[in-house]
Amino acid sequence: MSTSDRIQHAGAWLRERFPLEKLTFESLFQKKEVPVHHMSWGYYFGGLALFFFSIQLVTGLLLLFYYQPTVADAHASVELITLHVGGGALIRNLHTWSSSAMIFCVFAHLITAFAMKAFEKPREITWVSGVLLLLVTFGFGFTGYLLPWHQIAVNATKVGLQSIEEAGAYLPGALAGIPRQLKELIQGEAAVGQATLSRFYALHVVLLPLAIFAILGQHLFMVQIHGMSQGVEKPTGKSEKFFPIFALKDFSIWGMIFFVLFVVALCLPFEAFFSYPLFEPFDPQGSTPDGIKPEWYFFFVYYPLELLPFWLVMLLSTLAVGALLAVPWIFQGASRKTLRNMAFAATVYLVAMTVFGQQIYEFFKGAQP
Amino acid sequence: MTLRIVLLIAVCLLTPGVSLAYPEFQVFIEAQSGRNVNCAMCHAHPDGPEGLKPGQIGSLDPQQLEALSTARAAFEPGQEVHSPILNAFGNHIIHKLGKQQFLLHRQEPQKLAPALGLEDDLDKDGIPNAQELLDGTLPTDPNHGDPWKLFYINLKRRWFHILMVGLATVSGLWGLNNLLHGFERMSASKTRTE
Repeated sequence: MSTSDRIQHAGAWLRERFPLEKLTFESLFQKKEVPVHHMSWGYYFGGLALFFFSIQLVTGLLLLFYYQPTVADAHASVELITLHVGGGALIRNLHTWSSSAMIFCVFAHLITAFAMKAFEKPREITWVSGVLLLLVTFGFGFTGYLLPWHQIAVNATKVGLQSIEEAGAYLPGALAGIPRQLKELIQGEAAVGQATLSRFYALHVVLLPLAIFAILGQHLFMVQIHGMSQGVEKPTGKSEKFFPIFALKDFSIWGMIFFVLFVVALCLPFEAFFSYPLFEPFDPQGSTPDGIKPEWYFFFVYYPLELLPFWLVMLLSTLAVGALLAVPWIFQGASRKTLRNMAFAATVYLVAMTVFGQQIYEFFKGAQP
Repeated sequence: MTLRIVLLIAVCLLTPGVSLAYPEFQVFIEAQSGRNVNCAMCHAHPDGPEGLKPGQIGSLDPQQLEALSTARAAFEPGQEVHSPILNAFGNHIIHKLGKQQFLLHRQEPQKLAPALGLEDDLDKDGIPNAQELLDGTLPTDPNHGDPWKLFYINLKRRWFHILMVGLATVSGLWGLNNLLHGFERMSASKTRTE
């Protein structure tokens, strides 16, 4: 193939992925249709994840007015917000509950998009950006967890950073030092301390939001120009107008979910589910309380790490991330039925590890982790 | 510093054995509630009263040591107690029961909650102190309690806020519905005109 052929081929590939001729009012609003079929409910998870992200953004900005990112004041400032600032407990609860809800919706969106083969040509880039959004969302969860500077936050972060360093033992030659350097880069000093808090704060409130704005912008742009995917093997032939029918359904679901989130945030403090010692200010000289665990959305990795050899879980996790990014090319010939079965198996695994992880651990090890 | 050490030794000698925390209660509460608890439920420091950290005996100044001695002498109920090694709930227990009766419950920790009664609620979260003791939740933190009890109590307390937000949500959706349909009609009529 000559150079000009390659350039032409690349140009055609890009034109198919970025059909700029569809950037018209008529195409984006007047004539845009959404397929109607038995999997149509799967179209709403992406919008819900976006809705929860908006809640995170607004409540996060409000929390910034009072939060102090220093080892000495972080916990006290969170306590001030929760106990003394008017509406502070509600804002903090909204932020905490919606972070969990956002991660749930991102997971659900990824699984349903996979089952509906929404990564099919020409939507490969949309899929890859979606996987990157999942990773950025995990980054938000991991960095945000440390900010209140309580026992569970600091100790769970220590475990997480330690896992990064341990990965070096399984890498060959010069690569073996990279995880340790990465850990030191994130941690910023010999132990988890002020430098770590400052870095996590910068990541949580500046760098990750910038990253998510860039990737989300690209993701939404692609969704708009390509429209909703077909979703099922045999289209029903039915469809509804995106504007205003689907948009209104989307907004109505957002409204109902906002109401539920408000009631939960107003009446059910997130902290009530945990043992109190976990929420005491971190004391480097104090004893580590029992029950330190990561947030629920990391259980699918945490319990296997407790049960299986570290290298095996690391290897499987790396392969899983690589496979997720390469899904459009690995599964381009797969039928939707096969994909649905795989999505179902992944859902069973995630639910089992998240809800029954403790019981599964005790069944195999006979004690608490 | 010397004076502090002398006073510390004096307190320990005058009140033998009582500078220890009481693990009997911790063991009972953890078994009863299924939650992990530590000394912070009643003490100023989560690791208990012994040590040099804030809220522990070794960190107390002469005035605080005097307050500690007074609190330890509060054998009868109803006395004002401001022990610097106890938190508000720890002081409340001694005020309510007196040191003598409290120490008797070490043999039967399950009788401490009934003895405290259900009328007091330090954090005003709607769950009485004695119930929080049994639930293994902190009686001095209004955001900490049995989740479903808190949910039910807050739902009853804040029904008006919930009603208002419900009405605002419905009104907002109704307005949005009309707005979007209006845009659609406007766009359709413009297309017909063209």
